[in-house]
Amino acid sequence: MDWLEEIALRDQCKIQELLTRKVIKNIESDPRLGRADKLKRIKDQVRRLRFPRLAHTEDLIHARIQDLKLHPDIKLTVPRGLEGGSLHVEFCASNHSELKQQIAKLTEAAGSDSLAELFGLLAGSPGV
Amino acid sequence: MQPFEPEEIVVDRGSETSQIYRNLRHTLPHVPFRIMGSGAAQNGRADFLARAFGAAKKTLVLTRHKGEFLKKCPGSEGQVCCNYFVINFASNCPMDCSYCYLQEYLAENAALKVFSNVNDLLAEADELLSKHRHFFFRIGTGEITDSLALDPYIGFTREIIPFFAEQPNVLLELKTKSDCVEALLDLDSKDRVVVSWSMNPQGVIDLDEQGTASLDERLRAARRCQEAGYRLGFHFDPMIEYQGWERDYEEMLEQTFATVDWRRVAWLSMGVLRNTLGLKRTMRDRFPRTLLLTGEQVLCPDGKLRYFQPLRVAMYRKMLGWIRHAAPTVRVYLCMESKEVWEQVLGFAPSCEKELGQAIVSRQ
Repeated sequence: MDWLEEIALRDQCKIQELLTRKVIKNIESDPRLGRADKLKRIKDQVRRLRFPRLAHTEDLIHARIQDLKLHPDIKLTVPRGLEGGSLHVEFCASNHSELKQQIAKLTEAAGSDSLAELFGLLAGSPGV
Repeated sequence: MQPFEPEEIVVDRGSETSQIYRNLRHTLPHVPFRIMGSGAAQNGRADFLARAFGAAKKTLVLTRHKGEFLKKCPGSEGQVCCNYFVINFASNCPMDCSYCYLQEYLAENAALKVFSNVNDLLAEADELLSKHRHFFFRIGTGEITDSLALDPYIGFTREIIPFFAEQPNVLLELKTKSDCVEALLDLDSKDRVVVSWSMNPQGVIDLDEQGTASLDERLRAARRCQEAGYRLGFHFDPMIEYQGWERDYEEMLEQTFATVDWRRVAWLSMGVLRNTLGLKRTMRDRFPRTLLLTGEQVLCPDGKLRYFQPLRVAMYRKMLGWIRHAAPTVRVYLCMESKEVWEQVLGFAPSCEKELGQAIVSRQ
């Protein structure tokens, strides 16, 4: 509710108007979604409305992670809200060979432009 | 700047022998004074102590301070600290900034108090400074009040500057949003006092810094202090992000460095708007239309809300670029920021608070 009030204050509109925006209405009227999913998606949309540049930066970062085309066993994540400026890397290996493969993939990714851009986004480079 | 016009001055019995009382009588002769039994202004029996934060600013309480005057600045958990000490000669502030953390910090003890036992304060400072002559102290008086806003009425700086001027191991910082510098101008601080201003563009002052001096007034006062021999400090804190902030802040910096000689600036600091969830609730009640509530702030590990890190790092970098353009070697530090942000903005982070504290005063 605080977020809705703050968006209304920022955008000089009524909360009711926010809730009738197309992105919200589309979720509400989507017959494929259950009540819990609708609520979750509406919350996500409200967060995007409340924090548009944060959401945009997160989208750019996730796109860069996708660009790396890493094996599903290697997970790259950033903290929610992007506080800390760090990229978290998680991978698992069940034997020595797998470990070497994962490391090789990560090493290859580390040299890519996408990863450099990702760190740039975390550090406030243009685009934010 | 608006003159301070309290509705009433309440004096704890015993404080009427102090110099500050005499100064108040002299400078605010038209304001009613009420003398109360000793300790009444501190112990919660008085009606004015229960007033809400804003209303409490209308009554000035003159009382003795019973605890320690000098404290280490608490900083913020997990953030780089600048090893600063604070003297609390007063509590609460006659100005009314919408983002002021005192709204939460002093919520249960909001009375606007000035402490009359300045001699105890000086004795405590003397003991500390004498005991640790090998250590160089930075001490400020602007932590839970404005250092100078009440000075024309209470004459506090005339009481303390002569003492601090004689101390070899201290820099006293008087931090203000006022232009109340008249009393400083004929004092010889022997380079032991830095007068500093919290700075924001005029648009931010108009909207969110009620009762403070305008940007022009602050800068004129700064120049007068510089001409009188004081070194200056500027705190670009809290920096506010809004559409067009870049133009306003760049112009403010240009105006600042066109008015004062940056080579006599002791330090600059930068910090973005910080809230807590509790403070936001208070702001919503007291300043429901302030757009400061709508910034893209996220909760940080120390419990404070700040603009999300990439955004505020970008802000700091822009500010630093404008500062460096005008004042290439002036000392710049960040207030209440993590080592990661220091690294991203300044390319280094102090290894410990002593290192930062010493670095800030190293050119003195």
